[in-house]
Amino acid sequence: MSEPYFSSLKCRECGRLYPKKAVHVCEYDFGPLEADYDYERIKSVLTRALIQSREKSMWRYRELLPIDGEPTVGLQVGFTPLVKADRLAKALGVKEIYVKNDTVNYPTLSFKDRVVSVALSRAKELGLKTVACASTGNLANSVAANAAAAGLDSYVLIPADLEQSKVLNSLVYGTKVIGIHGAYDQVNRLCSEIAGKYGWGFVNVNLRPYYAEGSKSMGFEIMEQLGWEIPTHTVVCMASGSLLTKIYKAYHEFIKIGLVPESKFTVHGAQATGCNPISLARKSGTDLIKPQPKPNTIANPWPSALRRTDIMRCGPWSRRVAGRRMRRMRRSLRASSCWPRRRVFLPRQRAV
Amino acid sequence: MANFKGRYWLNFDAPRSTQPLIYQMGKQFEVVFNIRQATVNEEVGIMAVELEGEREVVKGAIAWLESQGVKVEPVEINTIEG
Ligand SMILES: [Zn+2]
Repeated sequence: MSEPYFSSLKCRECGRLYPKKAVHVCEYDFGPLEADYDYERIKSVLTRALIQSREKSMWRYRELLPIDGEPTVGLQVGFTPLVKADRLAKALGVKEIYVKNDTVNYPTLSFKDRVVSVALSRAKELGLKTVACASTGNLANSVAANAAAAGLDSYVLIPADLEQSKVLNSLVYGTKVIGIHGAYDQVNRLCSEIAGKYGWGFVNVNLRPYYAEGSKSMGFEIMEQLGWEIPTHTVVCMASGSLLTKIYKAYHEFIKIGLVPESKFTVHGAQATGCNPISLARKSGTDLIKPQPKPNTIANPWPSALRRTDIMRCGPWSRRVAGRRMRRMRRSLRASSCWPRRRVFLPRQRAV
Repeated sequence: MANFKGRYWLNFDAPRSTQPLIYQMGKQFEVVFNIRQATVNEEVGIMAVELEGEREVVKGAIAWLESQGVKVEPVEINTIEG
């Protein structure tokens, strides 16, 4: 690519523009920075035919991802199957249902490979030599594996009391795993401090604007796989709320550049009842999503606080899936036609 | 003085959102606070603040806020993911 289509970073709260560096919050109001693009130019080059002529990976939509040149990390990531689940549709009483199976992403069999490959491709463009993350599982493994492949040094910070088995895979890739003692909030603050101190590319901190954009690729793929259409309803696991907002952004970008017809759609967020800070915030009408430090659920969403404004833009509110109902749905999933054991139901949600 | 700067979101619940906690913190600790934005309703308050001072003093101020029931998150809100 000659001129990058990715133009700048922009504060989601006040709209101020920032250079495309390893920065992630607005200096003025601490609003998150987000990648912005030259959509007019993208519209003039990116066609369905061009996309279809490319490799089946998330990078076939590269003009809408925040890198300047060609991708260099995780070239095989994405374009995971969109599985039509007829028996599940019957069990749930709906006409048609598809499940996006992101557990077959390479190299670490997790959704995180999407976001990490964008973050590390950008880290290389920025000339960073060391990358890091704070994680309790899948993210650690993805950073470790992709960094090893890219020839970058990596560090993984984990709460010291985490079960070792959760990061065993990361150790295999030769990353440096550092356990941090302390209560969750202390560990969380320390990770933020470390990210600022050593000049590392911390994928979900100072590389966050790039990292987060990787989630859009899932939305792009869903539309293409449905025959260039936006699904009427999309149910997304909330986790931190970021995937939901990026799927929403992906749908809007495809409409904006004319790759899909404009249609009515809704993106729903799902949270297990035992850990549903966002759903609770909505019910109580507050402006703040309170974290739930001790989630009581079989799913494994990380409790986090976030302000709800971004999520509110995505339309109807998160539906809670009661723990029992979730187990039942998992059972139906396992019983449905093509659903192997130990797969996830919604993106980013762990299976039992 | 090796100055340390930390950027945080402070989360107050209803009873605390009416108390002058930031003022009290400033009296007790040698920290400069710079409020960037804040919202308050009947149930909760949220404030974006930069704290500057000796690292240990800033940590002490945060520990004091926590002892008063304030949740102190880094500017990224959550840096630890699954
Ligand atoms: Zn701003």
